[in-house]
Parts: sequence; structure tokens; C-alpha cells
Amino acid sequence: MRQGRAKLAAAVCLLTPASCLLTPCFAQDFSQRGFLETGVFLFPQTAPNDSGRATGESLLRYEAFYKLFAGLELKGGIDAYFDTHGESDREIGLSFWDRGTRRPSFAVRRLSASYHRGKLSLEAGKQFIRWGKTDILAPTDRFAPRDFLNLVDADYLAVTAARATYGTQANTIDVVFEPRLTPSRVPLLKQRWAVLPAGIPFADEAPVFPGGPQFGARWNHIGVRAEYSFSFYNGYDNLPLYHGALLPAAVGLQRFYPQMRMYGADAAVPLRWLTVKAEAGYFTSTTPEADHYALYVLQLERQAGEWSFVAGYAGQAVVQHGTAVAYSPERGLARSLVGRAAYTIDTDRSVEIETVVRENGAGMYVKPAWSQALGPHWRVTAGFALIRGRDGDFPGQYHRNSFAILTARYSF
Amino acid sequence: MSKLAAALALLTPVSCLLTPLSAQDARQIVEESQRRGRAESERYEGVLEVFAANSRVSKKSWITERLGSYGNSKTVIRFTAPAEVKGVALLVINHPDRASDQWMWTPAVGRDRRVALQDRATRFFGTDFSFEDLEERDANQFDYRLTGEETIDGAPCWRIEVRPRAAKSSQYTLSRIWIRKDNYVPAQYENYVKDQLARRLRQSDIASVQGIWTARTLEMTDLRRHSRTVLRIEKLVYNAPMHEDEFTVQALRRER
Repeated sequence: MRQGRAKLAAAVCLLTPASCLLTPCFAQDFSQRGFLETGVFLFPQTAPNDSGRATGESLLRYEAFYKLFAGLELKGGIDAYFDTHGESDREIGLSFWDRGTRRPSFAVRRLSASYHRGKLSLEAGKQFIRWGKTDILAPTDRFAPRDFLNLVDADYLAVTAARATYGTQANTIDVVFEPRLTPSRVPLLKQRWAVLPAGIPFADEAPVFPGGPQFGARWNHIGVRAEYSFSFYNGYDNLPLYHGALLPAAVGLQRFYPQMRMYGADAAVPLRWLTVKAEAGYFTSTTPEADHYALYVLQLERQAGEWSFVAGYAGQAVVQHGTAVAYSPERGLARSLVGRAAYTIDTDRSVEIETVVRENGAGMYVKPAWSQALGPHWRVTAGFALIRGRDGDFPGQYHRNSFAILTARYSF
Repeated sequence: MSKLAAALALLTPVSCLLTPLSAQDARQIVEESQRRGRAESERYEGVLEVFAANSRVSKKSWITERLGSYGNSKTVIRFTAPAEVKGVALLVINHPDRASDQWMWTPAVGRDRRVALQDRATRFFGTDFSFEDLEERDANQFDYRLTGEETIDGAPCWRIEVRPRAAKSSQYTLSRIWIRKDNYVPAQYENYVKDQLARRLRQSDIASVQGIWTARTLEMTDLRRHSRTVLRIEKLVYNAPMHEDEFTVQALRRER
């Protein structure tokens, strides 16, 4: 049944643009974009659970937007993904819910209908919802699961939800209902981004997904001197906790997703010399194994000529400790100083560098990249990530995962 | 257009025609230029060619929609090419008494970002227009002085010196505007940063579109970077029906 729905969704997604292309008079109501990107990762060191030193991947992304009539728009997109390291499923099928351990080879990236009239906007379907204002870490961005198969280069995943936004430019209220959790994708146990005790075999048990819905609301105010929001979320964490079980030949690890309630706020204040952004969330849970904690970010931004700078601090305060092992990159990168600088050399070339340094010095990574456009469609990016630190630290534990990357993208 | 350029570009003057030229002051000329260019709304497709200092040429295109007139207008600029910036959009909300508010939407990130005032000297997506140049400020935000008459592209022009009033925040300390005497269309702007000529905007290919004299080719030169951007305005329509709710941050996020 689910597979049938997914096929129907894909058909809608693909047929709409095709029909539009055949009808020139509707051309202004139809737009499309996409890219084909191929990348190579080179790892100088092997990891205890991964002897691979080079991996390759290709992603074809296509998105289309069609305005059916004034106020009503359809949005669709698909991803086709292939890699050389077993990170993607080899099955021929179209995934809609995107809950698998591996990346699907073919997935509905987005498929939604949106309607707006006056102050009211409605959108239903698989869509991207981003909350918050800070970039380094966004504690209130609760409807934005990510693909952490590669921790340092994690893409966002869409959620299937209904969203209503009402308001004027100055004040808007955003209400989101997500009937089924879309979890973040976590590293594969047998690959280098899962760092487990050496010598112990682990098995990935079938995860337990929660059955309940997610709900969130956010009020945003845009003022002359500042923008700020207050948000509330009640549902489940898209990052898992783990149950461990002794199996005959391995230790079984089973993911489960704790209940979560969040009270959040964010603000952006442009000052004379720089922009100050702040964001904080307080998280509680009825799941006994889960922590109660607060995450907060203070960030400064400035653009000067062709330079742009972002620097800040991400902090965490644990109010109550749970008992389960958690996988949470957003909390793992807290208590860190974070910085990003980018320089635009000319219309085609740019360089940027991003770094995270733990306040106790136990872990860090630095990621410089150089990017060059070649004509109107091609772009080549080369860079590397240097990861250093101690085993007990979240980014530090990946000290054998420093890598170089080269990607070529053809955009259309 | 630079705010000064924009301000000048749209001045209008019927009353000026009834008055001897020598009696006109600079403000009247500017206000008349703005009045003549006034429209309830404007929509065009912009084709841009960016000529870098190393002779490299890149092409971009965008669709611009504007609602309202100088000082109170709202503008959305949405890139349509090249492919990698397709969908990137900028919302500019102008105010009669202060600098505009600006937000940028980047589809790849899925978030909007307010462009802070101190960041508006930055070039707009690799063109030679800065974010500030995309504003349309009210004539009352500047002081004017008529400094002479010159010919630009064979057309006699008034040369007017423009300075932002003290309370206003601008990267430019001084601008000079040349306004054509025949149709009140600004032919050229020169924008100075601390007495150094930073950007020059030339406006040409002037034609009457729905009764409004309009420059359809704008060439912005960045004299510090030695680069220039030529913007050709195509499919220009004035007074097309537009709705206020299409010019909000909320609407900016509606990808197209």
C-alpha cells in the first residue's frame, strides 16, 4: 500500500512538469531546478570498523514547482542516490517516508501542496520546515531531521506534515502537525562514523519508531530593531536513544525515540557593527531514559566587503540525566566555540573555512573548502576536514576520520 | 539602482516645465523625476552580464516585482539563472524616513536571513550592485545641490550633488546625479565613499513604456574592483495587479 502511494506521488511529481513543458502558455507558472553531483571522499586513515579509504557518491536531484492557480501551488522533488560504500539501498523502489537505515536509492525529496490567501498560508505534504535563527546549531529547529551518515556534511530531510501560518509581516503564528516522525539518519554501525568499542561485535536491531504525532507552534515578531520568536514543540526527538541487549554472537543495539517537549526562543538584533543572534531551547521528556536539558547558542555575524564572518558559542546545561545512551550530534557539538569565514574572490570563485573547537580542547574539526564555477552550469569544490581530539569527546572520537573531498556539480 | 540613482531615476516635474530652468532647485528636479516615474507597480525580467576585472563574463537573470512608489515601495527580486542560484530571492521594504529592511531567502538553506544595515555595502550575489543599491529611498532622505549642467550621451543634463542627511545610514558619503532635461530620466549616477568614486551607474536605452520614460539598460561599474554589470530590462510592465501579501517574509519563503 505504502509502495503504491509512493509511486503515485512520484507520478504526480514527474507528470506535472512534463505536461507543463508541453504547454507553453503555462510556462510562467512552472519552474524547475536540480543538479547532478558526484563526489569522492578520501580518508588517509582506516577506522577499526571500516577499512575503506576512498568512497564515491552521486546524487541526482530534481525539483519542480507548479502554480495551479492563484494561491495554490504544487511542489515536488526526487533524489536518486548511488554510492560505492554501501550507504545506500540497492533496492529499486521509491521511498517516501525515508525511515531506512541506509539512504534510499530513489526517494521523494518533497511533495506538497500549498495554498495562501491573504494572511493565511497552508502547506500539506512532505516539506522542509526550518525554525530558529542561528546557524551553527539551532536548538528550536525541531522539524528538521538530518542525514548523519556523514557527520560533517549532513543534509536536511523533509518531514510529512501539515503547516498553517497566519499573520502579517510583523507578527506570524506558525502551527505544524506532523502525524508520523521522520527520524534523523544515524551512522551505520559497520562504518567509520559509528565509533564503537573495539573487539565487540554489534548488531543493529530493528528500531522502535513512536506511533504518536508531533505538534509545534511558533510566534515570530519582526520589529524595527529586532526579530524574535517563541516556540513550542511536543512530540518525539528525531535523534535516537539506544537499548542494548546481549545476543548469542553480538551486542544488539536498538534505536528508540524518546518523547520530547521543547520550550524555545530565538532572536536576531542587528547592531551598528554586527548582528547578534541567540537561540535557546529547554527540553523535557516523559521517557525515563532521556535527559532533561537546555541548549543555547550565541552567535555574532558580520559581512565586510567580500568577507563574511560567523562566530559563536553553543552551550548545554543538563538538568536531569537519563539512563540510556544517546546519539545526538547537536548536543555533542555543544560546549564548543564555532566559527565560519567565507571570502568571495570573484563571481566564480570563493573560499570558506568552518571550525568547531570544544571548550575543553578535547575535540575539534576544521573544514576549509575552495569552490570554482566553470561556466553557467558546472561547479567544482575541493576541501578537506581535519578532525582531532580524544576518544571520549564527541567530535574528537572521529579523529581517524579526517578526509579530503572533491565534488563536481552540474546544476540545471 | 542605487538609492540615489533610484531616487533620481524616478523624479517627475510638470510644474518644473512651467518654471524657468534657472528657478528650479535641485530638489524640485529630483522630485519631478520621481513623480514622472511613479507607478503603482512594476514588473520586469532583468538579464545581467557581469564583466569581472579579469575579463571573465558571467550571466545572471532575475525577475523583479515592485509594489508602491518611492519611499514606500516593496520589492522582491528572484533569481531565475544561473541554475545554482535559481530561487534565491531578496525582499526590500522601503521606508520614507529610514533605510530599508531587507531579507534574503536561500532555497538551499531553507531559511530567510535579515540583511543587516552594516552588511549592505556587500555586493549582491556577485553583481556590481550592492544590497544598498537595490533600495529606493524617498527624496526627503537626502540634501540636494544643483552644481551645473553637462551632456551625457548627447543629452543635456542637470548635475546634482546629493548627500544623505546626517541621521541616515549609507555607505555613500556623496552622490552626483545627471538628470536629462528632456525627459527627467537620470542618465548617470556617481557614488562616492569618503571622496573616492566607488560606483558609477549609467542609464541608457531610454524609451516610453506605458507613458513612463524608462531606462532599459543600466550599467553599474565598480571602480575599485574594476568590474561592471550590465542590467537589461525586458518585459517591463507598469501597474500590473499585485497584492500586498506577496511582499512579506512569509511570501519570500514560497519557493518558485
